[in-house]
Amino acid sequence: MCTMEDFKFLFKVVLVGNAGVGKTCLVRRFTQGLFPPGQGATIGVDFMIKTVEVDNDKVKLQIWDTAGQERFRSITQSYYRSAHALILVYDISCQPTFDCLPDWLREIEEYASSKVLRILVGNKIDREDREIPTFVGEDFAARHNMYFLETSAKEAENVEKLFMKIAEDLMQVQAKNKDLPRYESSTTNISGRTSSVSDSSCCSKLT
Amino acid sequence: MSLMKCCFDPPEVPDVIESMVQKCTDPGCCCGCCSALRPRYKRLVDNIFPINPQDGLVKSNMEKLTFYSLSSPEKLDRIGEYLFQKAARDISRKRYGFVIIAMEAMDQLLVACHAQTLNLFVESFLKMVQKLLESTEPQLQILATQSFVRFANIEEDTPSYHRRYDFFVSKFSAMCHSNEYGEARDKIRLAGIRGLQAVVRKTVSDDLVENIWEPVHMDKIVPSLLFNMQDSAFYLKESYNMEIAPEDQIDPPLLAETCMRELVGRASFGHIRVVLRPVLRHFDLHQLWVPNQFAIHIFRIIMFSIQAQYSYTVVESLMAHLDENSKSSPTIRTSIADVLSKIIAIAAGESVGPSVLEIINSLLSHLRDSVRHGLSQTDEKQYQEALINALGEFANHLPDYQKIEIMMFIMSKIPFPLVDNNTPADNLLQSILLKSLLKVGTKYQTIHFNNTFPVSFLEPLLRMSLAPDPDMRLLVQKILHTLIDRHHNLEQLIKPTINAGGLALTLETSSRPDLIFINKHGAMLYDALYTSLQINTNTIENIEAIYTTLALLCVELASTETVIDLLQLVLGIQNLALTSADLTNTQKNNLHAIVACLFVLISTIANMNTLTDYANKVIKARRKEAPHLLPDLLTQYPAKSESANKLPHLLIDQMAVCEYLKSSGFDATRLMQTSPYGAGRLGAYAGTHRHSWVEVGARGSIVEIPGTTEVDSVSSSPGVQKKLPEEELTFESMKRVLTEPPEIRKEAEAERREKLCHTFRTATFEELVHRTQPKHDLLQNKLNEIFKSLSSTETHQSPSQMDKKPSIPVYEQNFPELFLY
Repeated sequence: MCTMEDFKFLFKVVLVGNAGVGKTCLVRRFTQGLFPPGQGATIGVDFMIKTVEVDNDKVKLQIWDTAGQERFRSITQSYYRSAHALILVYDISCQPTFDCLPDWLREIEEYASSKVLRILVGNKIDREDREIPTFVGEDFAARHNMYFLETSAKEAENVEKLFMKIAEDLMQVQAKNKDLPRYESSTTNISGRTSSVSDSSCCSKLT
Repeated sequence: MSLMKCCFDPPEVPDVIESMVQKCTDPGCCCGCCSALRPRYKRLVDNIFPINPQDGLVKSNMEKLTFYSLSSPEKLDRIGEYLFQKAARDISRKRYGFVIIAMEAMDQLLVACHAQTLNLFVESFLKMVQKLLESTEPQLQILATQSFVRFANIEEDTPSYHRRYDFFVSKFSAMCHSNEYGEARDKIRLAGIRGLQAVVRKTVSDDLVENIWEPVHMDKIVPSLLFNMQDSAFYLKESYNMEIAPEDQIDPPLLAETCMRELVGRASFGHIRVVLRPVLRHFDLHQLWVPNQFAIHIFRIIMFSIQAQYSYTVVESLMAHLDENSKSSPTIRTSIADVLSKIIAIAAGESVGPSVLEIINSLLSHLRDSVRHGLSQTDEKQYQEALINALGEFANHLPDYQKIEIMMFIMSKIPFPLVDNNTPADNLLQSILLKSLLKVGTKYQTIHFNNTFPVSFLEPLLRMSLAPDPDMRLLVQKILHTLIDRHHNLEQLIKPTINAGGLALTLETSSRPDLIFINKHGAMLYDALYTSLQINTNTIENIEAIYTTLALLCVELASTETVIDLLQLVLGIQNLALTSADLTNTQKNNLHAIVACLFVLISTIANMNTLTDYANKVIKARRKEAPHLLPDLLTQYPAKSESANKLPHLLIDQMAVCEYLKSSGFDATRLMQTSPYGAGRLGAYAGTHRHSWVEVGARGSIVEIPGTTEVDSVSSSPGVQKKLPEEELTFESMKRVLTEPPEIRKEAEAERREKLCHTFRTATFEELVHRTQPKHDLLQNKLNEIFKSLSSTETHQSPSQMDKKPSIPVYEQNFPELFLY
């Protein structure tokens, strides 16, 4: 008799990127299925949860949505370290948000785990005034060994796909490294007592 | 289901069914229609839920459940598990009423049950709390936090190594930044802070669970607390009454502050930096240094809550942060330095030994950097002021013996030599270091002069008093004032006055150590003052300041011997005013004025009525005929005012003074003798290189060598007056020339040794090695030679010979063991 708590994997996903690129909207579109017009700036860190199903396994995604503003950098950085996946978001209609990507990568290098899955996302493709062509983003992602996706939180385009892709990839990584120690103990045991991510026995314990 | 319930609810459930339930091991058979066959614990749990969630927990049934879990604690973990599952289902179905009831039941069980059986139950409990925190419903999050806080207050005696709190720290920190609308915002923030507080409490006391001091956690907790604290206007009102907030009206800033205090108070030495780093970063990122009220507020909190023995680390960290900010704008640095000055006093009481000098050294090096990089910007100046303030604050709270140490330390940092051609940066640094010295000096209470002025301190200080820059000289005099003045007479002696009797001076007969001091170093002191009066760039302030120094010396060290010395000096100054070719008439008039003032003061203090009468007579005459020879000192005297040289009857007559002294029973022979403050010397100095500190310094250190050269030059110098003391080439003075040299020489040697000691103490090791390594033996030989020759030579040492001395390691003779490198 399995309950709602029955999930096989738990992954931590952290969104980063300049202020106003639409990180919060992406998260809310994915977790709540809505596009909040006039969303205010995030303060510090926000938190959402969503359980998805991949290959008949339930995967719980803990999504930490960080503030883009510089002044919150000290607290947001502290969330990178335990992340399994980092979504780096820019606004395709705003060149400066793209120009800052190298700075963000530097931060990620410094604060996140080296094995973290990194995804580059160009958001707001519903906008007419595109400034960054798709290939430029693709190019950048390829150079830095990241996945690339263009999304629109407003039109719900590619949002589901983005998170599903992350869940699948992380699951593959976990499956591959089943016997190997993956992250440092502090990074794997993110969920608290739910024990390490790949611990498939957690389900049987619940019965 | 309710039918089943009424059938089997009574506690006297037939044993048959109970045993049947026990045998039921297949979970599958428990589901479905037959709830009668469900395990008893499940039935008990089910029964605590009312049909209608508004009715709340069914109290009586809850008691039964509690009783059951107490009597069979092995079931507790299953009960927890089951409650959690129910709640999880209710959350997903948005039946929050039932969730709240489940949580309440969990809480009650947790409190009721005993520790050793709790471990597995806690697992479910925490899972439940997490589940509630994960929901988007503010109400549930707050509820979960409350439960968590309750849990944190329970002492578990079985450690749970595998339990982790990352999620809670992360989530509570996120809650601290909540941006919900309306009242919910503050409630969630409060809950977040409470949660963090609980996590800290739970983990801090137990080494076996998660280490909360990891940067991963602190980087979340500390900024979250600070973020809440900075919202309040609380810190803006310093006098705010702390006591007025009752428990129910507590607001996030207040709670965050309490939590911050607790956190800092629990930090041990190794953890302080982990706490401080995010604080400093937070201030940087949120640009909270300018204005810095908040920073001061926070650092005060930290200083007051930190375990006293670690408070020094805070200062150190702040200083290191200043280092890191060396490239930021001066206003930021000023603010940081200001914060430093505000908290440094709190640390001063606790720091001892090397750490003190370390702090001073670091402050001084910041000053130096500031001088090097930014000249004459007003912002930079403010920064320097702030640093000096910090230095003063720090010194203020140290015991006196450390203040002297600090003053000597600062002195050793002042760049020498003080030649004319040094860079403006050097000049600035000198004056800034002198300012810091003054700041430290004002905090120092002199008791014995020989403690206050060790030679290694006095000597460079006096050398500084001859610096080319008038402002710098003024600073040195001010330092002397504050150090000499023990009885708070400074106020009254700051301006020259002829009305010495009218001053309410505090007098005290000077102690023996003081007299010994002035006997030993008086000559050096007087000479430096005299020489600095010769400098033609003196302003009125300079001259007045020197007057004040002399007057203070006179007041502090009044004794028969010093009176003679001082009178001698006064007459010397008068001579200077008469004969100097270098000073302007204005300066000469000023000198005459202070001579008159000092004369009155000395006679008054020495309590010699006849001398006082004489002094008053002179002053009266001056007032009538030449008021320009009396205070106040002016920068511009009326054109018609006559030079003092033409008014011999208005001068203080040496013979007369001697007479009066004799009549009061003083031994005036010394005064009759050749004055060390000779006009001949003046002539020699007035010419080519008067600003060369080397010669002046050398002169200061060898004291006075009354010799024939002086007399010679006097007779040959043009402006010699009738009443010059040099004319009195008596038998006495000749005898003095013959008798005095050996002890003077001895003194000079002691002086030089001191100086050498000083160089060796302050020079770097490499320097010493470099200095002493080559030609060891050769040097030794030469040294012996030199010393032999020295002992046989007469007292006439040319200044150039003196100059060479310090570079010769006489040291080897005195401290051979120092060279055991």
